[in-house]
Amino acid sequence: MILNIPFSDIVFYFVAAFMVLLSIAAVSSKNVLRSAIFLIATFLGTAILYLLLKAEFMAMAQIMLYVGGVVVFIIFAILLTSHLGENKLSTPISQKFLAVFLALTLLGVMAKFLFNTKELSESVAQKSPEASSLIAYGERLLSYAPNGFVLPFEIISILLFMTLVVAITIAKKDNKEEK
Amino acid sequence: MTLLHCLILAFILFTIGIFGVLTNRHLIGMLISIEIMLNAANINFVAFAYFKAQDPTAGTLFSIFSIAITACEMAVALAILIAMYRKHHSLDVNTQEINHE
Repeated sequence: MILNIPFSDIVFYFVAAFMVLLSIAAVSSKNVLRSAIFLIATFLGTAILYLLLKAEFMAMAQIMLYVGGVVVFIIFAILLTSHLGENKLSTPISQKFLAVFLALTLLGVMAKFLFNTKELSESVAQKSPEASSLIAYGERLLSYAPNGFVLPFEIISILLFMTLVVAITIAKKDNKEEK
Repeated sequence: MTLLHCLILAFILFTIGIFGVLTNRHLIGMLISIEIMLNAANINFVAFAYFKAQDPTAGTLFSIFSIAITACEMAVALAILIAMYRKHHSLDVNTQEINHE
């Protein structure tokens, strides 16, 4: 029986279990720096999942932007704001039970609608190999055709620039208040 | 590996993120939980682009834009967090008081 399962499926289930366990560790760890490290491992698992789904460009973007960008931001912020005793924040057990109850209710409602849809469980991929090549992505991203993405690309670049200016303006020291 | 399995994985990760937002008292911990939820949404995009899309390239490129927006959001959120820390010297959400001056 077990030999009928393809190798990629075994890798998928392994990576899925790894990601679920590590993200539980990331949200429930008391030390914030440690949960940032668990977050890195979760993002690496996601990159492996993207490789299994034949989205190599997405996997590389995931590693560069999330692991190289967002998590480094988070670690910088943790180190800039680290404060003795802050790591020991605890929530009351009743709030934890309420949170588990709410989250599981949401999961149950979503799964109920998911299992009613029969056509989700077919495993035949629609994607042709040339649709996911790097050349296809690049041409689509910069094409002026009606199905091209050059306008969102420009908007994203302006948004990134504005965001960095806003972030510096918010985080810089205000000389009047500090004296 | 079917589309159903990918969607279930994304839903479980989203649920874990919601649990983290509801239970964490540290602001950075809440941001980490929000990251996990956004990551689950990206997994949904890529899984649908692989299994169901008429145009898989567009489906995958959409999640690139989603990742870029996430990076913008994190930069602003962490800047706000540092400004808040400078004012209150704490990142505990239960003890933040808003000064009306």
